[in-house]
Amino acid sequence: MNCEVCQLKELEVEHFEIREVLRCILHTIVFHRALGLVRPKDIDLELFDITYVQCGDIEVEKKIDEKIEQFVSWVEKHPNKKSEICLSFYEVKSKHPSWFTNKIERLDWEQWHINLNVTQHPKPKAHSGKSHHSKIVVDPGESASEERSVRRASLEVSLREVLFQIIKFVNEKKDHVPPITESVIYFPYEIHIPRKFL
Amino acid sequence: MDLHNNSHPESGRLEQIISQFLLKSLHIILDSRIPSLHPHDRSGDFQSSSRVRKSDKWFNLVLGDRPAALDNLNFWQRNVMDPMIIDIILVRRGTTSSSVDDLYSSMADRTPIETVMERWIVQYNTQRVMAPQTGESSASCKKIYKKSTILLRSLYSQLRLLPAHRIFRQLSSSSQTYNFDIIYKVSSFCEPFSWSEEEMMKEYSFMPVEALPGHLSLSVTFRPSLSDFNLEPLATFPPKIITDYVGSPTTDPLRSFPSSDRGDRATSFPLKGIRPLISTPFQRPHSWTSGFHRAAPFMANQSLGGSPPAYRTSPMPYNFPHTPSGTYGHRIQSCRPPTHQRATGNDEYELSPPFSPSMSPSTPTYFSSGSPLQTRITSETAPVTIPFPKSGRSSRYLSPNFSDPSKNSLPPLSPKSTRHDPSSQESPSGIRSIRKPEALRAGELNSGIASHYSGHKILKDGKDDSGRFSGLLSSSGSPHIGFSRSSSRLSFQDDLDDGDFSCPFDVDDVDTSDSPNSQKLDGKKNLESTPHSLLMGKQSQDAAVGVLVHMLRTALPLQQDPSCYSSHSLRTDLDEGVATASGFFMPRKTADALEELRSYREMKDLLLSKSGTRVASKEEA
Repeated sequence: MNCEVCQLKELEVEHFEIREVLRCILHTIVFHRALGLVRPKDIDLELFDITYVQCGDIEVEKKIDEKIEQFVSWVEKHPNKKSEICLSFYEVKSKHPSWFTNKIERLDWEQWHINLNVTQHPKPKAHSGKSHHSKIVVDPGESASEERSVRRASLEVSLREVLFQIIKFVNEKKDHVPPITESVIYFPYEIHIPRKFL
Repeated sequence: MDLHNNSHPESGRLEQIISQFLLKSLHIILDSRIPSLHPHDRSGDFQSSSRVRKSDKWFNLVLGDRPAALDNLNFWQRNVMDPMIIDIILVRRGTTSSSVDDLYSSMADRTPIETVMERWIVQYNTQRVMAPQTGESSASCKKIYKKSTILLRSLYSQLRLLPAHRIFRQLSSSSQTYNFDIIYKVSSFCEPFSWSEEEMMKEYSFMPVEALPGHLSLSVTFRPSLSDFNLEPLATFPPKIITDYVGSPTTDPLRSFPSSDRGDRATSFPLKGIRPLISTPFQRPHSWTSGFHRAAPFMANQSLGGSPPAYRTSPMPYNFPHTPSGTYGHRIQSCRPPTHQRATGNDEYELSPPFSPSMSPSTPTYFSSGSPLQTRITSETAPVTIPFPKSGRSSRYLSPNFSDPSKNSLPPLSPKSTRHDPSSQESPSGIRSIRKPEALRAGELNSGIASHYSGHKILKDGKDDSGRFSGLLSSSGSPHIGFSRSSSRLSFQDDLDDGDFSCPFDVDDVDTSDSPNSQKLDGKKNLESTPHSLLMGKQSQDAAVGVLVHMLRTALPLQQDPSCYSSHSLRTDLDEGVATASGFFMPRKTADALEELRSYREMKDLLLSKSGTRVASKEEA
């Protein structure tokens, strides 16, 4: 079985946006690969005007949140770095058992590469009580705030594009998806967090 | 190709998959676009329900109850070859030249503007000549089913990324009233877009699912931007307590409330009123639309010229009454504003001249109900009727500018007050408290679905009404009558959910002989005398409101009078509730107020006489 790989468009995110962006992308992918009986749940992002869909499975939610927290911890230790999170769907196959080996092998049949460029921009300065600096402070603060809102709008557009990209990929590539098993809600998957500098 | 003719057993299964795919896709699209079909919080709905319906198991996607409109898809199940075209239409009310005119102009005057936001085409395309597929049929069906499942997942996600979803969310989640709504139209054919429309649309096609001898295709043509539309909430006036309300001096307390049997009409479905305004380009039988405004024309064009044989569409518009009440109620909302729908039933409604456009917007609205105040018979004081529209959304009822009932610049009308309409019309005499059960019955008689709807919406209405009720129930001051524009969900609820409300304004008949002088009295005296004028049954709406306000206001001093409360305290009984206490309290309050008024008059006369005497004596001195 071939492994289909999808490289998602890189997103430039700030630290506080990581969780929302990753939740949105990871849940969207898993939802499209949760072919068992699901109760879809609409989630409205708080930072962006985007609604994505979760498959409604609590285990999925826990796992994704756990991985996101690990990634956030990693980002805190490696700030201002480009990073990649890989979500892979696999099948468990056992190799031919023999006297010496009885390996269980995981074969990825699909990989999703989520590329993030976590940046930390200076926050807009709060207007302090120092009047003699007020003139100096106001402009950079305002421009930083405007810059942030521009970045936010741009990120929203990019995030939307990524979601459309996921839908497009999911629709174009269907043959490699394993058959639906009755008792299985979603295909087994793994989320790989970067462990080293990129 | 007729799949029925294929004797292969798997062909039946394939056809089943295809027809269920069509149903499921329609369900997903309508669920994601039409607020009226599921007028409740959507985020946790499916999580809470543990029951999995048979329809949910198809394609492993739990969507909840299928809209009743899907029942009309039976003919698609018979012939899956027909494309299913779903138009998601944005209905907007046209605006007048000025915002002020918007407030005061009749909703009926505004032509609804329909714009197709999205057109979804779901179909099973087959090749004309196909060799029967043998072998691997079961496996191929499984593959088809798997791919269809993925496709429907994509559809579900895609619907949330398209621009129309924002509008749907706005309508679904907010309790505000908007000047637009979303309706749908399902058909097996479609009128192509005009060149200009096509220029503004984008198209997206999902990868078709191969389902030999054909393939399942799903595509959408949509407007990439809806920012050109003026989609905004209607101006609403939150309930506000006017503590120092005096009443407009221009109101004539002797004016009668115009009789109105709108209460009986407002809960009906205004097919007639809408019909002339809605264009119906589609006349083929494989077509139905949401909204009553399409029903009649559709029914008028039931010709089957050129239509597929073997079946006619059932009178689907008439099936709407069988839809869930929430859908029904929102059908009214689809034809926003609802006053337009009610226009035909409300033509006879006449407001007396004091209800002029010049009146301040803060003037509460009084709407008479039937034969208003003349024949009220209560134990001690005459009931004060506060006419209210059958529908909380009727601008005719809500305008403080009473000469034009369609003007909507009023503060929100208390739905409690509006509920008296059906009751009053049912039995003009008798205290309102007695008529409350009748109000429910009247509402039900007028529209069984509305009552069903109201029952369906009770909880929601209660939540929405909290702000509006507070102005009436909790306040001992102004009975500010607010017009609820919050949601069409409340439109029927307002009319029917009146059983438990004990109107604090049920006052007894009082002597009306002082009414000609009432206007001469100032402030408090005016307030005390106004019950007389009210009892006369000829009183302007705002004056009546003013009376009620002042009655409540004047009640406070009366409460300080131990004589007033001696019986009141005895009667205060938790089991009997506030209603009893208030019911006991009100008559005494008014009587005492009248007595106090008389005493004040005497004092006034005395003072005047004394001052006249003193002046004379001083002069003499």
